[in-house]
Amino acid sequence: MKKEVPIAITFILAVFYVVANYFTGSPFLATVKDRLDRWYLVVAAWAVLVGSINLCQIHGRRISQKREGWVFSVWLLICLFGMMFFGIFIAKNPSHPGWTFMYNQLIAPMNATVYSTIVFYIGSAAYRAFRVRSPEASVLLFTALIMMLGRVPLGAMLLGGNQALSQMADWILNVPNAAGMRGIQIGACLGGVATALRIALGIERGHLGGTGE
Amino acid sequence: MSIVSGYSFAFWVELIFLVTVIVMIRRARGGMKIPEIYKVAGLEAMDEAIGRCTEMGKPVHFSPGIGDLQNAQTLAAMSILSYVAKQCARYDTDLIATNRNVIVYPLSEEIVKQAYAEVGKLDNFKPDNVRWISNDQFAYATGVTGIMFREKPAANILVGAFWAESLIFAEVGSIAGAIQISGTANTHQIPFFVAACDYCLIGEELYAASAYLSKEPVLLASLVAQDWGKMVGVLLIVVGTVMVSFGSNALKTLLTK
Repeated sequence: MKKEVPIAITFILAVFYVVANYFTGSPFLATVKDRLDRWYLVVAAWAVLVGSINLCQIHGRRISQKREGWVFSVWLLICLFGMMFFGIFIAKNPSHPGWTFMYNQLIAPMNATVYSTIVFYIGSAAYRAFRVRSPEASVLLFTALIMMLGRVPLGAMLLGGNQALSQMADWILNVPNAAGMRGIQIGACLGGVATALRIALGIERGHLGGTGE
Repeated sequence: MSIVSGYSFAFWVELIFLVTVIVMIRRARGGMKIPEIYKVAGLEAMDEAIGRCTEMGKPVHFSPGIGDLQNAQTLAAMSILSYVAKQCARYDTDLIATNRNVIVYPLSEEIVKQAYAEVGKLDNFKPDNVRWISNDQFAYATGVTGIMFREKPAANILVGAFWAESLIFAEVGSIAGAIQISGTANTHQIPFFVAACDYCLIGEELYAASAYLSKEPVLLASLVAQDWGKMVGVLLIVVGTVMVSFGSNALKTLLTK
């Protein structure tokens, strides 16, 4: 029963969602779909609580056992409960100036900082990937050189204003690259549909903790 | 009640695909021989990666990406997590499963717990090792970076829906000296994974993982149906290209009906 009931619920809801997405003109379908979407939001809100409890348990233990870096755990819990307290008891709505200040002056710059580190990771990953160790790596290096030079003014400058590198880069991007990407996308879409079918039919049960039938 | 405009062709194609999958599954149940599936290096290396962690006494890190449960990639990742958790439980290797999505987190915990229970080692299950880091993409990336540097896992398994954080995870894993297996169907992240990881599951290989790892004929049968679908897709592309080249938009019109 522990697995049969979730499988039955999954099948019924999967059929319902397929019908609700493909068919129109039934107020009943639209209403029930809207209601189910709201339920998802409610479940997600409760899941935040579950996640917060997990965070408190892990970092609480780290603080009590004074493990390495426990000070950061204290800081994390202060930030977690500080934001929670401020949002619930002081701001009460997302347009509160204090709330927008915290988002615009703290969260957004921190996100931007982490995002910007990607440029350094691209450098180190490219160094490893472009090392000429095999014919495939040589092709990759050659293509990358054309792409990089074709995307910056230096490429045209080196060729005395000729746009050949830029045109080659466009061709690489729009013809062989697009063809490869679309091939992967078609396969991935079919794979996604097949996975959904296997789950809806209860054949694949990995997400329930089993590996199959 | 009628089919939404522009969805007719997709609906019928999906219905035919569904019937094909069901027929293949029935034939597999009836004992039909399943064609051999080509070897996927990334999946073959899964046991090797876990074995490496066991030998070194270090944990395995698993991330199901940052997609939610409505994303098929996340569900495929959950199936792989189930397999990885079972192997880790079997060999007494710690598994650190980090999550970004709050809906995915309880599911991850349940899957890992169930895996330990299935191999009869529920006492070894450590709830602290299944972690929800943050709902924010880059806060999650930072959290995983910290874990990679502090706990130094010897294997880094990144399968699911990834976006800009993919390269951060893969590079940090590489710096930490972990053997890395990645997989995503997000085409813009595949080049990052290919460049930075030891093995990469590309697109549909991610969805085939659970069938491949379980080696169950019924699951493998659905992969055969998937391949037939791909062949039909390729045929439509070729026919469509020829028809458009000769000035006919009949197939294009049919597809958008």
